[in-house]
Amino acid sequence: MSAEVLLGAAYAALLLGGAVVLEWLSRHTHNRSQAYRTSGFDYDAQHDFWVCHQGEQLWPAEFDRERRLVRYRARAAVCNACPAKRDCTDSTGGREVTRAVDPWPHSEAGRFHRGIAVMLVVLACFELSVVLVRNREAADIAVLAPILALAAAMAWWLARDLVRTPSGFPDVKPAHGNRIGSE
Amino acid sequence: MEEKSARRSFLLSKGWLQAVIIVMLLGFTVLGILALRTYQEGAPVPVKIVDPNGDLVFDGDDVSAGQQVFLHNGLMEYGSIFGHGAYLGPDYTADYLRRSSNISIAEKGGPPVDKDGMEIEDPDPSPMPSADVARQETINEFRRNQFDEESGTLTFTRSQAEAFERLIPYYTRFFSADNTENGLRKEAITDPEDLRNLTAFFAWTAWAAAAERPGKDYSYTNNWPPEPRVDNKPTANALVWSAISLVALLGGIGLLFGAFGRYRDLGWHGREQTVVSFRDPSKVTLTPGQKSTAWFFFVMAALFLIQCFVGAAVQHYRAELTSFFGFDLAAILPYNLLRTWHVQLSIFWVATSFVAAGIFLAPMIARREPKGQGKLGYFLLVALAIVVFGTLIGSYLGIHGVIADAATNWFGLQGFEYLDLARFWQVLLVVGLLVWVYMLFRVMRSRLRREHPGNMPWLFFLAACAIPAFYAVGLLARTSEDFTITEFWRFWVVHLWVEDFLEIFTTVMVAYMFVLLGVVRERVALMVILLDIGLYSVGGVVGTMHHLYFSGTPAEHMALGAFFSAIEVVPLTFLTVEAWSFLQLGANQEAKSDAAFPHRWAVMFLVAVGFWNFLGAGVFGFLVNLPIVSYFEIGTALTANHAHAAMMGVYGMLAIGLALFCLRYMIPSKKWPEKWAKVSFWGTNLGLAWMCFATLLPLGIMQLYKSVNDGYFEARQLDFLTDKTTEMIEWLRLPGDLIFIVFGAIPVLWMTFLGVKYTLIRSREGGGGDDEAGADLFTVVSGTSLEDEPPEFQSRTDPTPGT
Ligand code: HEM
Ligand SMILES: [Fe+2]
Repeated sequence: MSAEVLLGAAYAALLLGGAVVLEWLSRHTHNRSQAYRTSGFDYDAQHDFWVCHQGEQLWPAEFDRERRLVRYRARAAVCNACPAKRDCTDSTGGREVTRAVDPWPHSEAGRFHRGIAVMLVVLACFELSVVLVRNREAADIAVLAPILALAAAMAWWLARDLVRTPSGFPDVKPAHGNRIGSE
Repeated sequence: MEEKSARRSFLLSKGWLQAVIIVMLLGFTVLGILALRTYQEGAPVPVKIVDPNGDLVFDGDDVSAGQQVFLHNGLMEYGSIFGHGAYLGPDYTADYLRRSSNISIAEKGGPPVDKDGMEIEDPDPSPMPSADVARQETINEFRRNQFDEESGTLTFTRSQAEAFERLIPYYTRFFSADNTENGLRKEAITDPEDLRNLTAFFAWTAWAAAAERPGKDYSYTNNWPPEPRVDNKPTANALVWSAISLVALLGGIGLLFGAFGRYRDLGWHGREQTVVSFRDPSKVTLTPGQKSTAWFFFVMAALFLIQCFVGAAVQHYRAELTSFFGFDLAAILPYNLLRTWHVQLSIFWVATSFVAAGIFLAPMIARREPKGQGKLGYFLLVALAIVVFGTLIGSYLGIHGVIADAATNWFGLQGFEYLDLARFWQVLLVVGLLVWVYMLFRVMRSRLRREHPGNMPWLFFLAACAIPAFYAVGLLARTSEDFTITEFWRFWVVHLWVEDFLEIFTTVMVAYMFVLLGVVRERVALMVILLDIGLYSVGGVVGTMHHLYFSGTPAEHMALGAFFSAIEVVPLTFLTVEAWSFLQLGANQEAKSDAAFPHRWAVMFLVAVGFWNFLGAGVFGFLVNLPIVSYFEIGTALTANHAHAAMMGVYGMLAIGLALFCLRYMIPSKKWPEKWAKVSFWGTNLGLAWMCFATLLPLGIMQLYKSVNDGYFEARQLDFLTDKTTEMIEWLRLPGDLIFIVFGAIPVLWMTFLGVKYTLIRSREGGGGDDEAGADLFTVVSGTSLEDEPPEFQSRTDPTPGT
């Protein structure tokens, strides 16, 4: 077996690893910035409401279908009397917090990172195929084929997911939130 | 500065400004001291070099003349010296050192050498007892420093002098060859005097690479290049500072994330945004100055495309050296000519975009534009075009030997990699950039008068001033100066531009764009900018020295360079993970605006900038940053990998993003080429990523392996590059390059063409929309103020935009 086969296999494995790391990093950034946006507020997932650092609860006020997000609002009277209001909101209608299902541009940044990950995996397939064409002995195939199969499976899975994920860019038409619950 | 009552006061606490000023002052004080040390302790060029009998071998003027032959013939864009330059040809320091030490060993009874100074393959490698003695003697002779500082005389040993005489014919054969097999033009250098001086220059660098510094046990170049024949191996300093800088990086990242984890709420997060509605961009009236930028962007895209084609040809030399699909390209466009065009164009087109974006943003910031800005804009564009084409033509004439000596220095090429352009063009470019700064100033003047010098308008203006200021430092690098000193100043430009001042100008511009769009508060943007200036400058200023580990500068350059440049990675990581995502937040759809955010693809290009800042600058940069890695790696494909990912990834993507931002106002919304923007986004990013991951990175890893295992000299040989596997790797990048050009660069050209087209149409129709200069880009829908200053200052401020 030539050095090229081993190198090719090792590098393809490295590329696959890189794709996995990129996926992880991308998700991590996404979560972090999500957390920043609502810093100071704690989310109760079970009952679906937020608590601000002054103890006021924010309940779902509307669901915005087009923008795929839920708006939560505190009671206006409480906020307007709150000593921390200046650092919190300009609104006189009570502080609002949103929870987006997949907010832009993170949604699209996520697609971008996913796109790069797909490219890495496709590159691994391409590179393995080229090496395979140049080195066709049984031992070579035994080394290269399993990695190629893995890479192809990853490529298919990631690409399918990429196609299915919406870019999440807000549409040009104005959004009309549907009111849910009461204030 | 005197605080007038009409001035708006600083939006943050004074501590922010003080911290930034202190960081800058400290950084440049250290850099100033290192400049002094470079003049004092840089590898000395002897007045004369004599043999043991006292007969002259060559003198300092020959070295200087040889250096000019090297530079003016564009050889730094072919091979390298001290590891810096281009990578197709050899590193001439390592090359001369290898050949001369071989000759010395052979002469003392070791293995014989051919007329090129290379060992003859011995069919019967029976042990030669004399060989070990010969090797040891050579080591002793090469390492012993025979330079007498008083008299400026360096005494060569007999075999060193002999090697010099024997290598002149070798380099003569190489550079005056009657063919283009090496990628140089035919008979590139034929004058015997020039060839002798060139050899003297190589000989001097090789001497500095092996001779020990007085009182030290390592050479002037910190023992670079690795070469067992003269016992060059990594110094203790290289190891220790590699370890320390690694710890500094990890510690820095830990500290920063720790700090921000604890005090998450720097005040930028968690506060509800004012809700704004975006103006339809095509309803925003453009000033004459802004309209002139349509042409700038068109020129930018054209240069970008040309750079791509030139790059493809450069690459072709690596994949297939001797012919261009059967055609003798090197006869007309030798490798070094294409390489200098490629490198210079990359700087030119990115700078064109920055300049245009500055002209475009200034009236939006100042909310006015004085008469004549449009004319000045066209004047500047013509001046830039003259510099660009003057540089390209000049380097053609210089490399083809049509002009020579002083003429080529002034109008041909100086030949310093990245500062290749001739002095006349260099001065003209500085003047052009100063005109640009003046253009910004006349627009911003009255706004600046009303602002505290720490606020955003000033930062925008000062960051712009830094660009010509630091480009002008390049004028200190003169071809006749000692090489160590020219390298020192050259890297002030190369490094401080890209790793400090351009990053800063970028942040200011991007932050301002978001402020103008009403999606980020001014106070918050200011905080991000100052944080950014501080963080970049802590590491970035002194970090300049990471380019000067082995250029004949003393060891402290290496120590400080390694330490501080490792710290540079911290803000890259931080900004990618935190602040950039914060800036993007502004653009998200939470706000119940009823007009869509107009800058989808400009923002996506910024997302890409963040990604490449992390991968290209942070990861790939750090990969080659430790002195111990750099020692084996410098001047190999891993550097090219980093350079492409960082330069195109960060500044290329940014240049395109800025162009799209401005074009969005020039092209009517109905005609906006959304699809092309999308295609170019994916085309440039996937193409670049493919280029790096398919070829540059794996090739770099293999070359590094070869360098550590077999030797640096071997790793830089052409026959390593033309080996079967490496050739396959070179070909693997082809699909990526095609994607990059076809789906990346060409759509950008098309979009900028549309910008020109619709600007012309609009001018003919006599404008459209409102007629006030720099009208708002948004209106506030709810919320009261965009400038959340303490209330006591509110009365003194300008009327807030949009309220
Ligand atoms: C956007 C930011 C950056 C850009 C545009 C950039 C660009 C470049 C370019 C074009 C080169 C090649 C210079 C030459 O061939 O002489 C280079 C070299 C280098 N860069 Fe960067 N760089 C960036 C950031 C960084 C960072 C953050 C680091 C390290 C932490 C770094 C470390 C290095 C090192 C060590 C070299 C020298 C490699 C050699 O000469 O072999 N760079 N960079
Ligand atoms: Fe640098």
